[in-house]
Amino acid sequence: MKTEESGIRWGMVIDLDRCTGCGACVTACQVENNIPLTDRQGFAEGRNLQWLRIERYWEGEFPHVRARFLPMLCQHCDDAPCEPVCPVYASYHTAEGLNGQVYNRCVGTRYCANNCPYAVRVFNFSEPSWPQPLEQQLSPDVTVRSRGVMEKCSFCIQRIRRGKEAAKLEDRKVRDGEVHPACAQTCPPGAMVFGDLNDPDSLVSRMARSPRRFRLFEDLGTEPSVIYLKGGGHEHPG
Amino acid sequence: MSTQDKPYSAARMNDAMLSSMQPPTIRWFLLAFILGAIVAVGLYAFTVQLTTGMVVTGINRPVMWGLYIISFVFWVGLSHSGTMVSAILRLSQASWRRPILRGAEAMTVFSIAVAGLFPLIHLGRNWIFYYLIPYPSQYGLWPNFRSPLLFDMVAINTYIIGSGIFLYIGMLPDLAVVRDRSSGFRKQIYSLLALGWRGTAEQWRVFSRGSTLLACLIIPVAVSVHSIVAWDFAVTLVPGWHSTIFAPYFVIGAITSGVAAVITLMIVIRKVFKLEEFLLPLHFDNMSKLLLAVCLLWSYFYFAEVFTTWYGHKPIEWEWFSYMHDHYGIALFIMILGNTIVPIIGLCFRSVRRSMPALLVITLLVNVAMFIERFLIVVPSLSHKNIPFAWGSYTPSWVELAIALAAFALFFLLYTLFAKFFPILAVTDVREQEEALIGQQRLGRTQVETLVNEE
Amino acid sequence: MEVLGVFDNLESAATAVDNLLEAGVAEAKITTLSSVPYPDGVLVKSEGKPRFYLFTLVLGACGALAGFSLAAGTAWLYPLQTGDKPIISIFPVGIITYELMMLFAIVGTLIGMLWGMGLPDFKPKPYAMEIANGAIGILIDAENPAEIERSMQCLQRSGAQKLCTEEETS
Repeated sequence: MKTEESGIRWGMVIDLDRCTGCGACVTACQVENNIPLTDRQGFAEGRNLQWLRIERYWEGEFPHVRARFLPMLCQHCDDAPCEPVCPVYASYHTAEGLNGQVYNRCVGTRYCANNCPYAVRVFNFSEPSWPQPLEQQLSPDVTVRSRGVMEKCSFCIQRIRRGKEAAKLEDRKVRDGEVHPACAQTCPPGAMVFGDLNDPDSLVSRMARSPRRFRLFEDLGTEPSVIYLKGGGHEHPG
Repeated sequence: MSTQDKPYSAARMNDAMLSSMQPPTIRWFLLAFILGAIVAVGLYAFTVQLTTGMVVTGINRPVMWGLYIISFVFWVGLSHSGTMVSAILRLSQASWRRPILRGAEAMTVFSIAVAGLFPLIHLGRNWIFYYLIPYPSQYGLWPNFRSPLLFDMVAINTYIIGSGIFLYIGMLPDLAVVRDRSSGFRKQIYSLLALGWRGTAEQWRVFSRGSTLLACLIIPVAVSVHSIVAWDFAVTLVPGWHSTIFAPYFVIGAITSGVAAVITLMIVIRKVFKLEEFLLPLHFDNMSKLLLAVCLLWSYFYFAEVFTTWYGHKPIEWEWFSYMHDHYGIALFIMILGNTIVPIIGLCFRSVRRSMPALLVITLLVNVAMFIERFLIVVPSLSHKNIPFAWGSYTPSWVELAIALAAFALFFLLYTLFAKFFPILAVTDVREQEEALIGQQRLGRTQVETLVNEE
Repeated sequence: MEVLGVFDNLESAATAVDNLLEAGVAEAKITTLSSVPYPDGVLVKSEGKPRFYLFTLVLGACGALAGFSLAAGTAWLYPLQTGDKPIISIFPVGIITYELMMLFAIVGTLIGMLWGMGLPDFKPKPYAMEIANGAIGILIDAENPAEIERSMQCLQRSGAQKLCTEEETS
């Protein structure tokens, strides 16, 4: 099977100095990707289906306490631990560095979720449903996943495809800033930037060269495509 | 049993050893019915899961594997002793293996068959389990052989077929004996199963050499199967799982639970079928020594694993380690008690090794402890993985408990059926031993019995 | 045509074999039927080595090939990148090759043993149900009526409990 060689490697930079933990990205993701809603009990049981979550950590003791926010989504690792363990190739690596998930192929061994150190893979424990009238706003671009299937952030692959189709019609490459996943598009302070990491001039590449850069669990050697810029500079001068 | 006080008679030995195959009593039917009813409850629970989804289990994020995988590892472990012990004892020409081997081999076949069900039960979409089977489809897509789950599937397939062949081939002469002693409809069935065995000199020669060759082949398969189950865990990045000791540790754990289960079953078979004449204290003594040895090995491996984790004090491993100690202290204590303290101290004493009630308690305790060990391997590690935000815990639901319980019932049901319809003692093996004993030789001032053995 | 004499103990069966050999029956034509194995030479001596292990070797090699093709071949037929693992990775290919080699070798041993034992064989043959209960059968592969007659007499003289040339129906 031939994969198209576009030379693109999609990646994201998240500036933690800018993140306010507002959760707009979470909502945008939920709406864009036809993610079923989870009730309070489902959250308590660890069965929420968020592809993107804001992790809140508390630092220090009261009264010198601060909240830290860490938007957590699939890191689209280059050496993804979730991919080789899937027995049916439901999880695989695309030529553009995405960590693909084929819902129709997934049999639900949940091995990938166990092997994901970031715990960003979510499982459809029951048949998805939406309260009236929310099922009216399902996106036609995105599959509704059946129960028993693993899913996770796709970097809004439907938007990437739209962007590439538009570029192909005009016989050009995808321009920097042309494609945004729903979260990055929504983020009010603009903490999330998406783009081609292989293009040294793209905004995401330029930001990724920041001295504040770090990636999660770099010691595990997963080579994530999501780069965080360290926050908290204001509270800890020097 | 000496030849002096009980004259050897093949017919009498056949009668005694095949007494388990007499027509079933009402109590047997009652037992089979109760076991069948428990299996039916498990089937109902599985139907609920099939129609509602995995929501009916206690599985959650981050604990994506629960009681099903725990049961899977437990049953694979249990299957490890039968064929393997039988094969090792055959190769080392330990004559005392003879009355034990059939029961042990049958245990292997049924427990690996039960184990094989769990990966299918645990799938999110059970109805497309065949995606895991390599077959040429119109998609042109094959399963991913780089996944440890595929290693698992291939290895378990090999082990089921291999141990099944080992059991069947070893039973061939006994089936012929049963054939010759039965009549009517039963005779036709056993004639078919015995394949026309007559026991010619050539048949026996091939049988004996072939069985030894099969034993040589089945031992490395058994070792590989449980190593691969261990690698399901060890190849991941999960703290507490990613450990090089896992494969040998799992293999020893498997043999521990397997040997204990063989002894338990031997005690039950001996009592139920009144086989005190053939299953002697000597057999229990020897098997108990084996259990003592593997319990020591298991404890050594366990110590090596936790000690290095404790000393290294790597934060994420320490987190899983202390979580296990804080939340599963009692389970941990029972595990150490049942796998180390009680068997190692108890089995040092000859009187304990030859006492049926004491052995029954110890061997059951070993298997309870081994089940807990599997639980402590799967659950605490998954509960506290790398990302602290997604830490959680796990409690099995009634569906999972019902299915896990049904697996036990299914195993005992299969075993009960087998013991009723097939010779549960290796009749010809035991008789071969008795015939070989008839030689007498003068040694000093006394006559001693001599063993005549080939090779 | 096979001639069968049934003896109720090992000693008389051994005497019968001696008598047969004396009467000029070739040792290769004599075999025993028993429900327990006796070491070689107790009654008759067998010649040559069993060849069934060839099946083990040949099928084992086929299995290794099958395992390799399955693990390496299917990955190559439809290459999909997963993680940083090579499409044809050495460890997985090794494990699958090993497992299938062992599976085929075990099945090969089964086939080889059945072939060596001449089973399954449901054709009626001389046999006696007493053999299951410890009796020993001496079986002579006789070619012509004279040989049959001579063997029958010899077995009779040695104290056979029962003589037959066709399958028992009891």
